[in-house]
Amino acid sequence: MVRKADFWSGTFWLCIAAFLVWQGRDLGLGRVNDPGSGFAVFWIGLLLGAFALSVIVSSARESGPSLADLWTGTSWGRVLTVVMLLLIYAVFFERIGFVVLTIALLLVLMLVVDRVRPAVAIPVAFVTPLIVWVAMTRWLLIQLPAGVLAGIL
Amino acid sequence: MDVFSSLALGFSVALQPINLLACFFGVFIGTLVGVLPGIGPVSAMALLLPVTLAGTPEAGIIMMAGIYYGSMYGGSTTSILVNIPGEAASVVTCLDGHEMAKRGRAGPALGMAALSSFFAGTISILLLMLVAPSLARFAVAFGPPEYFSLMVLGLTVLSFLTHGSMAKAMIMACIGIVLGLIGIDGISGTPRMTFDRLELVDGIGLVPVVMGLFGIAEILSNLEKSVERKVISARIGSLWPTTEDWIRSKWAIVRGTVLGFFLGILPGGGAVISSFASYAIERKMSKAPQEFGKGAIEGVAGPEAANNAAAGGAFIPLMTLGIPPNVVMALLLGAFIIHGLQPGPLLITQNPNVFWGIVASMYIGNIMLLILNMPLIGMWVQVLRVPYNVLFPLITVFCIVGVFASGNSVFDILVMIVFGVFGYLCRKFGYEPAPLVLAFVLGPMLENNLRKSLILSQGDFGIFVTRPISAVCLLFAIAILLAVLMPSLARKREVIAQDQS
Repeated sequence: MVRKADFWSGTFWLCIAAFLVWQGRDLGLGRVNDPGSGFAVFWIGLLLGAFALSVIVSSARESGPSLADLWTGTSWGRVLTVVMLLLIYAVFFERIGFVVLTIALLLVLMLVVDRVRPAVAIPVAFVTPLIVWVAMTRWLLIQLPAGVLAGIL
Repeated sequence: MDVFSSLALGFSVALQPINLLACFFGVFIGTLVGVLPGIGPVSAMALLLPVTLAGTPEAGIIMMAGIYYGSMYGGSTTSILVNIPGEAASVVTCLDGHEMAKRGRAGPALGMAALSSFFAGTISILLLMLVAPSLARFAVAFGPPEYFSLMVLGLTVLSFLTHGSMAKAMIMACIGIVLGLIGIDGISGTPRMTFDRLELVDGIGLVPVVMGLFGIAEILSNLEKSVERKVISARIGSLWPTTEDWIRSKWAIVRGTVLGFFLGILPGGGAVISSFASYAIERKMSKAPQEFGKGAIEGVAGPEAANNAAAGGAFIPLMTLGIPPNVVMALLLGAFIIHGLQPGPLLITQNPNVFWGIVASMYIGNIMLLILNMPLIGMWVQVLRVPYNVLFPLITVFCIVGVFASGNSVFDILVMIVFGVFGYLCRKFGYEPAPLVLAFVLGPMLENNLRKSLILSQGDFGIFVTRPISAVCLLFAIAILLAVLMPSLARKREVIAQDQS
């Protein structure tokens, strides 16, 4: 049972449910004729706990994939790479700026993560951020960080 | 105002150049995201939500609505030519549409999909026009207990109809409600679950949540498996269906339209379920059920009519009650709120230009869609030939830009990434994100109405069962929850789930 994916997901939600019940009590349940800020959080926590338990119980009764089965035969490395790239992108977004960082992101995604011919990847990587920049900042008047190109753009 | 003078007002709004442009842009983007697998109307609407701020409320909402019903048209093109549904409501169209394409009948399949969509879309607007004002008058009598119970019913129905385990769907709904409650408590002013982060005081934004769960999560899921897309290479030929095709399809279109419209109105129902229901009915009613799955044109006509009619019907609960029946309408509710409008029973009387402008724009949008999907079908076929490894980096960039533009905050990008990973894991573990998003939008309203009801009744829970509308809604919700415990119904639900997946 403990190898099953559903057991682990159910356990995770049970922990979240316990946290919500505690948060609800902490925020204050109030009275029934004047419910407090934690009233809904508390009851939803209990409800979530009940559903999480039902997932755990059904994982014991029924067959289902194990945790390892979920990632067998998949290119999970690519998923991890993209998530890391996005996190790095978000951290440096304001400092380096939209255009430079997006060109770099597109180049890595198209030349390293899921390969595209350089003849296609390079023009797409350079033209797209510039078009988006012009469309957003000039036409729609929505600001994007200029970063290192602040004096140029 | 009678219906005709109201409609005349609507057309005077919809025919303004800026609104015509918004309508065209909406249906164009809608068709595009419908055609492209990997990005659906939810992501596209979330992406363009900030863009609508640049214009009037009418233009913004006309564009958002256009994306939704436009995607219903576009989804069929990918289903028929590639055998991959462009969006969830077109899954069924793959079965017979692609078979027709393989037998050299891609043209009539595409033509029938567009024409049945046009017919259903137009009829559903007519019905929307007739039903919505009457329902709005009735809905004025709704108080907090009725709204609370209706929202509970909506979330229960959506969880029931979501494929996979109902317990998992309910878990997602619970999480959605809690996420919606993060931020300042509207009644007491107390910050809730903000963990001393200033960015969380106003709550989590809808756009980063939706873009993460539907945009980034979809990209991550597609990246871990290689998606092969083989576009039918033969010439598409004439799009006009033959007389025999029309004879076989005419009643399927009518049935699909009626069924789709009413399933679209129901909270939790919508385009996906109506297309499946229509297909099942057509197969059951057909004199040659053995032809289904082998290129029966009724299998294209009925579901396509149903999903387009459902798209029209879904506007009714939003416009008259202010309650979104599905995720797309939840986003549209977001668009209304951003523009300072509150959809609900008073929308039609207080903002007739918005309501009737949207209705009239849907007529115009349907004509635009017919043109985009019949004579210009070749353009969409070319779009389909763009490889996914070029598309996904671009979609990623658009997600980032859309999220940043919605709040001008890097924190929102981080929220999107977190929800992207969460959405990816949810798919892996068999948890559907749709109930979470709907609950996220309904959460604050649900809690507000619950607390108001209890304050009104001085703590008496009986208020939910002594008021007839509230009692009926709760009764249905309980019946649905109990129905899952009945073995025969549970098995039927699992069969539908397997069909859908």
